[in-house]
Amino acid sequence: MQLHINPSDELPIYRQIMRQIIDAAAGGRLQAGVQLPSHRELAEQLVIAPLTVKKAYDELERQGLIVTHRGKGTFVSDKLPDVDPAERRERLRDAAQRLLSQAALSGVPLADVIGMLEEMQKGMER
Amino acid sequence: MKLIDFSDVHYSYKQDSDVLRGISLSLEAGEVVGLLGKNGAGKTTLMRLAMGMMETRQGSVRLFGLDPRRHALEVKRRVGYVSEDQVLPEFLSVGDILRLHRGLFPTWDEGLERRLRERFALSPKAKIKTLSKGQARQVALLCAVAHRPEVLLLDEPAGGLDPSARREFLETSIRLLNETGTTILFSSHYMSDVERMAGRIAMIHEGRLLLDNSLDDLRENYSLALIPQGSGDRENRLMALKECLSVRHQGDAIHAIFRCEPERCRSLLEKGLDIHNAFCTPIALEDMFIELVGGRS
Repeated sequence: MQLHINPSDELPIYRQIMRQIIDAAAGGRLQAGVQLPSHRELAEQLVIAPLTVKKAYDELERQGLIVTHRGKGTFVSDKLPDVDPAERRERLRDAAQRLLSQAALSGVPLADVIGMLEEMQKGMER
Repeated sequence: MKLIDFSDVHYSYKQDSDVLRGISLSLEAGEVVGLLGKNGAGKTTLMRLAMGMMETRQGSVRLFGLDPRRHALEVKRRVGYVSEDQVLPEFLSVGDILRLHRGLFPTWDEGLERRLRERFALSPKAKIKTLSKGQARQVALLCAVAHRPEVLLLDEPAGGLDPSARREFLETSIRLLNETGTTILFSSHYMSDVERMAGRIAMIHEGRLLLDNSLDDLRENYSLALIPQGSGDRENRLMALKECLSVRHQGDAIHAIFRCEPERCRSLLEKGLDIHNAFCTPIALEDMFIELVGGRS
């Protein structure tokens, strides 16, 4: 699994790692039982502090999404992540906020934005 | 255990002009702290005091609980130090310098030395004066880490390096963290490097510690509010809020930093000051730096 972090993103790096692993597990790109790189390996791969990766792993483990077997490594657990509905809404809100700001800056009225969304939705269904 | 401990440190190069005015900062074993500040803020002075290169005027500096002036040899053996203005003797070869260091440090790891020498493609025969700036810095880094120090002091180590050499430097430091659990205090003007490496940020300005927080805390529990100038004395009313850290005029807006998340910041402004058109957002490290020290004289 490839992760990508952006150090200057608004989201703390450990949360970026968590989110990408959760999304990959929820989207089926990361199957239950798959071994994850050790926090040290991932730190070297992403060129970030090992403690940051450890923090992400500890939090994921606390949520039951990954399990560490001593001496064997860290694995994706078979518990599917249910992304907190509140958090899901929150993320969508952020995206909607950006869309609205962009529309306001370019002087596109709300009705047109909604029209655009509906058009895209149709395109996705096809 | 505190591996590095600065306690109320004062220092002045000249009479009546203090470079450091009471800095207290300590690092636990395995911590990585990014030291931020404008040029002349006192970062280099702090590092030099930790190396025992100078005596504090007031306050104390301890590494491993030892005074780096009184126990110079023992402290230096357990510390690695790289600075921007480090000068290696030009007439020596890379091999000479490595031999010199090997003899000075009982814990020197020849395997690590070889690994880094190959990685940096440094020829032992090359004379220092023929090296590029980046290569010379790599020699300095190699000398600073091959004895696997418990503490690493990096003073603007990436200054003047190109992006790939900087990345190489970071990668080497991270491997060292992994293998040795080294405690690192480093200063850099490259915010993205700081964000990659550091767990904690110490910001100094005019010799005082302005901020000492975990990086995640800064991301999650601070915000920047952009507020239209408006009528009345908004600046003083903002400063009166206990969550408000700083206020700065920028064009026709006021920039204020709050010690709370954006949502709460918005409601404080609405309920407290009747300001409804502020834009509140999480704040990136670079903006935090500009807001806190950039605007001050």
